[in-house]
Amino acid sequence: MDIKFQKQVALIIGISFICGASYNSIRDEGIPWLAKPIEKISSAKDIEINIGIPSIREIDLETAIKLQKSGALFVDARSEEYLEDGFIPGAINDDDTDALSDEITTLIGFDQGFVIYCSDDDCGSSEDLAYDLQEYGFNNILVFKGGWKTWTESGLDVEYNE
Amino acid sequence: MLSIMNKIHPVLILIIRFLLGLIFVYASYDKILDPGKFARDISNYHVVPFGLENTIAIILPWLELIIGLGIIIGVCINASVFISGGLLIVFIILIAQAILRGFNIDCGCGLKEGEVVGWSKIIENFLFLGACYIVHESKSRLLEFYPK
Repeated sequence: MDIKFQKQVALIIGISFICGASYNSIRDEGIPWLAKPIEKISSAKDIEINIGIPSIREIDLETAIKLQKSGALFVDARSEEYLEDGFIPGAINDDDTDALSDEITTLIGFDQGFVIYCSDDDCGSSEDLAYDLQEYGFNNILVFKGGWKTWTESGLDVEYNE
Repeated sequence: MLSIMNKIHPVLILIIRFLLGLIFVYASYDKILDPGKFARDISNYHVVPFGLENTIAIILPWLELIIGLGIIIGVCINASVFISGGLLIVFIILIAQAILRGFNIDCGCGLKEGEVVGWSKIIENFLFLGACYIVHESKSRLLEFYPK
């Protein structure tokens, strides 16, 4: 590996850094250099805080159970094929985000909190869907991080498609 | 091995080079347009600390674009395929650890939407790595502009 080669590698990395940093700073949807973790809330009472300010927050199993019992809307972010194994009672699902957005709007409007979940702690589809739906104008989105795995491991009720 | 490499027809090496470059350019496109989504994909691998997934999501897609363009237009080919190979090795390790830890996550590879991690992605990346090796080791190159 000669010096010239090393300089070329350094040059490519340097140009990439400058392009990435410049583009991120001039675009409206630029992101911060360090990711901020999603705010966690541990009480169902906190859910109505921040209405009107777009927010995506994380809830635990206990809060998810309380919300499910109180009739909150649940959205299953898993692909439709996973629903054959069941889903949280009352949860809605649609792979088409436009159609899903319409359904949520019809059911609860834009400001009321609703819960999104996916397979487990490590799946990212609930967060992805939360950010997609936030762009549609939903203000109060809750991500149930443990998702389907935590729900079923706790022996809670599930629903199946007929 | 090198003697076999030199027997590959220069036109075939050029085609491999173009395809490899196109793959990197194509993979960078969605990531440049939506770095937030790419940062979440990186975060799902659970290996990057301190929120640095955003920093990677800002820089890495541009690195992929620039090395892809370099490989296609014939500028800094050796340095570009060297970086490509390094990235592919990192991707292989990341995907393998995600599979072994039982993560069913979006790969974030940028080639196909909603593609989840799996052994097929590892095989695919090894093929790309092989292409990097062929281009790097080839002596007779067509359409190479800098350095001559």
